[in-house]
Amino acid sequence: MIYRTLSVSVTMFCVSVALGFSSQALAGTVTGKVSFTGQAPTPQKISMGADPTCAAFHKEPVFTEDVVANANGTLKNVFVYVKEGLEGKTFPAATQSVLLDQKGCRYTPHVFGIQVNQPLEILNSDATLHNVHGMPRESKEFNLGMPIQGMKLNRKFDKPEIMVKFKCDVHPWMNAYAGVLTHPFFNVTSDQGAFEIKDLPAGSYVIEAWHEKYGVQTQQVTVDEAGTQTIDFNFAG
Amino acid sequence: MADKTPSLYDLKKTTFWFAISGITLLIGLVVMVFQDSAREWKHWQAKFVEYSREKAESELQAAEKSLDEKKLEELKQSLAQVKETALARRQEMEAIQKELDPLQLEITKTKTRHQDLKQFHDSDRYFFEEYSEKGEAHKAADYRKKLSEREPEILSLKTALENQEALRDEKEIALKQWTEKEKEIEQEIKKLTRDVTGLETKVEKLKPNLAKEILNAPMLDFMNPTLRIQQIVVENLRDDYYFAKVEKVDRCVTCHLGIDQKGFEDAPQPFKTHSRLELFLSSASPHPAEEFGCTTCHGGSGHSVDFVTAAHTPRSEDQAREWKKKYHWHPMKHWSEKMLPLNYVEASCAKCHTGVVEVPQAPKLNEGRNLAQTFGCFGCHKVEGFGNRWKVGPELTHVQSKLESDWITRWLENPKDFRASTKMPRIFHLSNTSDPESVDKNNATIAGIAAYLMKNSDPVALESPKAAGDAKEGERLVKETGCLGCHTVGSLAANDHGPELTNLGSKVKADWLYTWIKNPKHYAPETRMPSLRLTDEEASHITTYLLSQRNEKFESKKPPLVKTEAVDEISLTFMTSKLRFQEAKAELEKMSPEARLEYVGQQAINQQGCFGCHAIKGFENAKPIGTELTEEGSKEIDRLDFGFVDIERTRQAWFSQKLKEPRIFDHGKVKAYHEKLRMPQFDFTDEQVDSLVTFLLSLQKSEIPLEMKKSLTIKENQIEAGRLLVSKLNCQGCHTLDGKEGSVRSIIEDKGNAPPILNGEGKKVEEVWLYHFLENPTPIRPWLQYRMPSFAFHEKELSAFVQYFNHLAGVEPSYKGKGIPPSTLEEVEAGHKLFQAFQCIKCHKSNPEPGLSASFLAPDLVMAKDRLRPEWIIDWLKDPQEVEPGTMMPTFFAEGKSPVTDMLEGDAAKQIKAMRDYLMVFTPEEAARITGEAKPSK
Repeated sequence: MIYRTLSVSVTMFCVSVALGFSSQALAGTVTGKVSFTGQAPTPQKISMGADPTCAAFHKEPVFTEDVVANANGTLKNVFVYVKEGLEGKTFPAATQSVLLDQKGCRYTPHVFGIQVNQPLEILNSDATLHNVHGMPRESKEFNLGMPIQGMKLNRKFDKPEIMVKFKCDVHPWMNAYAGVLTHPFFNVTSDQGAFEIKDLPAGSYVIEAWHEKYGVQTQQVTVDEAGTQTIDFNFAG
Repeated sequence: MADKTPSLYDLKKTTFWFAISGITLLIGLVVMVFQDSAREWKHWQAKFVEYSREKAESELQAAEKSLDEKKLEELKQSLAQVKETALARRQEMEAIQKELDPLQLEITKTKTRHQDLKQFHDSDRYFFEEYSEKGEAHKAADYRKKLSEREPEILSLKTALENQEALRDEKEIALKQWTEKEKEIEQEIKKLTRDVTGLETKVEKLKPNLAKEILNAPMLDFMNPTLRIQQIVVENLRDDYYFAKVEKVDRCVTCHLGIDQKGFEDAPQPFKTHSRLELFLSSASPHPAEEFGCTTCHGGSGHSVDFVTAAHTPRSEDQAREWKKKYHWHPMKHWSEKMLPLNYVEASCAKCHTGVVEVPQAPKLNEGRNLAQTFGCFGCHKVEGFGNRWKVGPELTHVQSKLESDWITRWLENPKDFRASTKMPRIFHLSNTSDPESVDKNNATIAGIAAYLMKNSDPVALESPKAAGDAKEGERLVKETGCLGCHTVGSLAANDHGPELTNLGSKVKADWLYTWIKNPKHYAPETRMPSLRLTDEEASHITTYLLSQRNEKFESKKPPLVKTEAVDEISLTFMTSKLRFQEAKAELEKMSPEARLEYVGQQAINQQGCFGCHAIKGFENAKPIGTELTEEGSKEIDRLDFGFVDIERTRQAWFSQKLKEPRIFDHGKVKAYHEKLRMPQFDFTDEQVDSLVTFLLSLQKSEIPLEMKKSLTIKENQIEAGRLLVSKLNCQGCHTLDGKEGSVRSIIEDKGNAPPILNGEGKKVEEVWLYHFLENPTPIRPWLQYRMPSFAFHEKELSAFVQYFNHLAGVEPSYKGKGIPPSTLEEVEAGHKLFQAFQCIKCHKSNPEPGLSASFLAPDLVMAKDRLRPEWIIDWLKDPQEVEPGTMMPTFFAEGKSPVTDMLEGDAAKQIKAMRDYLMVFTPEEAARITGEAKPSK
């Protein structure tokens, strides 16, 4: 009797452990950092004098965001994504919306990723008129006015594209970039210059890193079950 | 008994010869019959049948392959099953059928009885009413009784009828359900196999069989042959057979069998499908075959059914050789309307499409017309229908204020020496005037013309630039103010309407250039060049820049040597046409050398026809010197002087040769200097020659009756009048309009800085505003560098433009004015509040601070009430990106929803209307008020 109970519980334990492991077996991770060597160009100061509301928001001077070199020698706002290796696979579109905010007459975030048909929520946190002028090459160009503080607009992209430029015609220094992909395997480097792409199925992939000024770089990586691969990119200034 | 009686003729011999002649005649008959029936077209038709059959067979194979065999099997099985069940149920069905027939009889009986009773009922009721009325109560009561007795009977009959009918329907449904299912499945099978069965029938039809052979046999083919001549009879058109005009009958389709059917695009000729069936031949197209025939557009002999006699024209020498070998082809000597070679076929479009500036879908013909206008062909050659054109060369009535005599002589020698892109052709020292004697006469003539022009032009007051200009600034101005809308400058060659701006330092003086660009019409009242409202400084800068470019080689050219003998000889030649030689000589002695030179110039201009392109004093009413070309496309080949030049004896060959090398037909001829051919050398490219020949071939004798031509409505005529003005002044050099993109857009990177797109302008702006804007342009978009020029239009031209824009946008003339009721105070306030909420003033500033980037700026809305149409403003506010894609004005009402939810119930349509009404009363004071409110209080 005891033997029976014991064998059953041991089996169940083994099964659950195996199950636990197997769920991890489908989750590879690619991490790394994007370092920056050389001399970063001095950021230009933005003059917001044309719109007093914008100028009033910033006590300190504001600088352009095209090259943001972090203190630890890495590069911010690099869009890292899986370029090849996922052909033939489909992924459900994420339902959670991505937020693009216009705050202090700047776009936040400056670079972001979004899936095809994933809702993009555009918010105007400023008490001034902004317009969101998206210029995709694959989809139709759009230009939406946002005169009211706190108003939100929703948009969806129906075709993948690297990268869609957003600009504001009222405030010409404002721009943002969106990477539209059919899959959720992308990440943007932070203040530490690091990126992490999780839950990748096992396989061989080409990872691409995009920067708005320094172009693109690619690397090959093979991910196995439950493994973590580390790759690094380096952009030279 | 062989009685050797003498006979007139030998019976044996007679019989013999009779037999021979009989057999010969029989053979002759048979040969004739067979030769007569062995026609070329029958061969092609038989080939076509074979080709179609092969095609149908391959299609059949493909269809069979693509047939869903599995599904078909399934269906067939279910059909068999249903049939089986039906068979099993057969007895049941028969039983039901047996019940049905007597039931039907019962129903009929009941129905009839019911109707009878109803009639009795009506009759009784009539009598009852009558008797009641009459007061005969007794009789009335009788009928009353009858009525009351009958009613229940009628009711019961009705019920019985309904029951019986219900029963019958039930039984019929029961029957049907077996047969219906069968039918359904059969339908499905039919659908599935439809393509295959269709193709099978087709293939069957096209198979040769004995019956067809017999029907097509010689002597028997009068009954109902399968191979027969096909023809299209176009009743209202005539073919000219000299002395008789015969109804047009086109038998081309006898051999060209697949020409109007889709599916033969890859077939070998003559079966190939016609190109662009949606435009030609199909009954839904604007040129259906039954109404137009074939030869109307292609020429040729439609009555013929033979390859050679149909006057097919080969496309090239190679094809001519191929045809000669394969088909024993030779050109039809006595049929003058030969088929047009395919590369000139657009020439026929102009037969019906008259009165239009550009013939739709005929790019080569239109190019030819444009070239003819640009290079001034109509200056020498009269062409009916092109008389409303303009002189293409600059006016020479004031030329002494512009040019030096030396420059004119160097220019006339060879214009391309000064500027390779010039449109002025070369007149002197051409192939027939290159011998030494002619060269002397050329030089004398050139000097004479220069002398005449300098003496016979009126001076014009010139202004000097007040300060020295900066060449760099001048270059920027030239490239950014709008000169590129017509002129090519260096490598920026978006437009070629006016002369290329190069080497001007070798041609004109600063005074002249400065005066010219400030106000062109001051020097040349008829010029097409508009004024760009340049300030004195701008004009000075531009002058300095343009004069900085020189052509050293041209400047160092030695003026030609003028021999006095040549001058005298030429003068005498002209004088002796009116006077006797001695008198002429005497006259000549009286003239000074300058006077002789001037005389030579005057006569030369008269002879050479310079006034055809240039307005020259003294030649205001001179007649053009060239041959009239109104019907050149129909000209008899024998009337064209081929001279000793060995080219094909066709019109197109002659035209091509003439355009390439106009004087070549003088080759080998002995002619006096003034009898030689005069047409100048234009140096056309082969492509240009092709287009021009298409144009020339389009100038045909008009034999199309008016009702068959494409007649223009009044609106279309007004659009064409507008189009003529547009082509004269090159509006499309800057503006995208009427289907053509603005040429300068290709060299402007940021399209926000490009001249505005004018599509739909008639729907957008008010007519009165447009009229006055064209009369006197004022800036609308302050950020644009390019300036809208001032053209100094007449009233007629201004009205023509307004009509043109209106018609293009489909705007009907209306007299309702603004058509919106005046706004109440609340409405204006609502509009005002919305204006603030949407922060319109952020971009639509009335007085923008200088230095703001272009993306900030938008037109001043104070203009809106006079400029914009109220209906258009509504459409614009709803979604600007729909009205003008790419505009910087954002969409505020995405998906029809308003972001402002607390005004006018958040209703987007109401808000748009309120803002539109507010704009209609948006005065400068309002604008100032809003601007003041918009500034945040510090």
